[in-house]
Amino acid sequence: MSGLAFIIAGMLAAATPFLLAALGELVAERSGVLNLGIEGMMAFGAVVAFIIVHQGGGHAAGFLAAGVAGMALALVFAWLALSLRANQVAAGLAIAILGEGLSALFGKTYESTTVTGLPKIAVPGLADLPVAGGLFQQDPIVWLTLLATLGLWYALRFTKLGLVIRAVGENPGAARAIGYPVLAIRYGAVAFGGLMAGFAGAYASTVYTPLWAEGMIAGRGWIALALVVFATWMTGRVFFGAVLFGAVSLGGLAAQASGVSLNSQFLASLPYIVTIIVLGIISSNKRLLKINGVASLGEPFGP
Amino acid sequence: MTSDLNRRGFLKSTAATGLAAALAPAIAHAADEPLGIVLVLPSPLGDVGWGHALSAGLDPIKAALGDKAKITVLENIPEGPDADRIMTKAVADGNKFLIAGSFGYQNGALQVAKRNPDVSVLHASGFMTAPNFSPFAARYYQATYLMGMAAAAVSKSGKLGSVSAFPIPELITSVNAFALGAQAINPKVEVSVVWVNSWFDPAKEQEAAKALLAQGCDVIFSNAQDSPSVVSVCEEAGAYVWNLNSSMQKYAPKKYLGCVATDWSPFFSQQINDHIAGTFKGTVAFLGVADKVVKVVDWSKDIPADVMTKITEAEGKIADGSLSVFAGPIAKQDGSEGVAAGASMDDAAIVAMDWHVKGVTTPLPK
Repeated sequence: MSGLAFIIAGMLAAATPFLLAALGELVAERSGVLNLGIEGMMAFGAVVAFIIVHQGGGHAAGFLAAGVAGMALALVFAWLALSLRANQVAAGLAIAILGEGLSALFGKTYESTTVTGLPKIAVPGLADLPVAGGLFQQDPIVWLTLLATLGLWYALRFTKLGLVIRAVGENPGAARAIGYPVLAIRYGAVAFGGLMAGFAGAYASTVYTPLWAEGMIAGRGWIALALVVFATWMTGRVFFGAVLFGAVSLGGLAAQASGVSLNSQFLASLPYIVTIIVLGIISSNKRLLKINGVASLGEPFGP
Repeated sequence: MTSDLNRRGFLKSTAATGLAAALAPAIAHAADEPLGIVLVLPSPLGDVGWGHALSAGLDPIKAALGDKAKITVLENIPEGPDADRIMTKAVADGNKFLIAGSFGYQNGALQVAKRNPDVSVLHASGFMTAPNFSPFAARYYQATYLMGMAAAAVSKSGKLGSVSAFPIPELITSVNAFALGAQAINPKVEVSVVWVNSWFDPAKEQEAAKALLAQGCDVIFSNAQDSPSVVSVCEEAGAYVWNLNSSMQKYAPKKYLGCVATDWSPFFSQQINDHIAGTFKGTVAFLGVADKVVKVVDWSKDIPADVMTKITEAEGKIADGSLSVFAGPIAKQDGSEGVAAGASMDDAAIVAMDWHVKGVTTPLPK
């Protein structure tokens, strides 16, 4: 049973980098902007946070700086894609490559160095449960991410700001006609996406795997991107998908460690397969997809 | 010369080039032009890991040859067309000695060697040869056997684990020898393996290590990880850990069991001297303890003295050839016969090993 306890204890932390990045991208895509640069923004955020924590600046400052770094890259993207109306796919890919390059450049002297992570905070009582106890013993960022997920779900669904963001994504022409500054709102949404991707990177390099190694984001930004689409732009499903992905990837490792006779390449691809199948089934409802899909996604909007 | 593009001119110039090529090593030497040595690496060059071990192998050459050698290290070169282009460029720039530091460079590096007969090429972990192209690999298994002996001695649970990159023979033999060495001290020891199917994914490597620790493994073998991901997580969890290529003791000051280090400098020096003398030959270089390429450094002080004596003894026997790690009888994982009593696996069988020995509990992916 120790394998199950291991999965339950680890799945939230494993999901956190995906979740943070995907939540940010969700907001950007809801406003109608497709930013493919998550991987680069995560990598850049990761190296900035690592450098600050390594220099003794502490995790709070590290996360803050990583958020700003991610946001800076996101604004470069926004300038290209929104102000200059460049192709969003091309501009996003450029940001992904730029961010990875910058992370390699800044991280050069820190290659293979380590820092200390964050201590875990346990929920009194629940953390002592057998098997499931590990679930209630997480580092502070995991708890904050859960709060952020809840907050974002509420904001997108029940607040005026959420409604405006969605309106801008659905029909920017109409939103503009009733007086909303479409470009400014999209700038804000993209910047928020960068902020969250920066946090995701910071979590990866200073808490989850507290070391710096070039390329350590290892494709997690792309998975976050895919999660948003498969979750049909719904916050709850993004959360569900990220946790499922985390749990299945840990499950594959736990199965190998306990000697289960399954092909390890198959186990390694299992998280992708399961996530695609499950989210595919959920989103197979065409009507729902049409309601949730962002109508103007990826289309440039001219004044 | 360029205006002589007719048949006669062409014949004349090719004849001249042929002559020049034949004399090339001598001329280069006589002209006292520095020998251009290029090392191409697949990963970023850090203070530890595979790339570091290869580049450190060139340091004594830098010291010995001084101005007579110009060493360039090209890091983080993806395998494939990029690497081919970069190796071709390096040779076009006048470098005459190329070290291709990853298996995936094989085809590109071989092409470079065939097109440039005056260039000598060393290629990591490959199997193809040419007159000026030698593959090289380390007999890690000779030293992972010794680490197995140490691991069995310090393990309380009798369960050992390995976080391994890809299920390829080189890594499989390392795990098998680790299990055999452990069984030499405690026949009941079991080894679990987690294949992460990636050469480089620190987060996944740490998750894998945690999965093994959750199963009760208390000595972890970080098999082919280039970052201290596994080593640091084990130190934190209080489990012994060891790794390959270069020492990561500073990441686990309390729980570091040792490092199966590779020192490529004797081999590189020999090959570069051969190149300068014009006697470079394409051969398969499979180097181990006896060649002083593979050795264990930074042994933990927690290993009991009597076991340490046995380890030193075994090391001596491996070096002089009287102990063969893969000498029979060895049972396969399912209990069937792997190596018959009295027989011993030859090099060809070792480099193609695709089965686990008994005592390794994780089935090998097919």
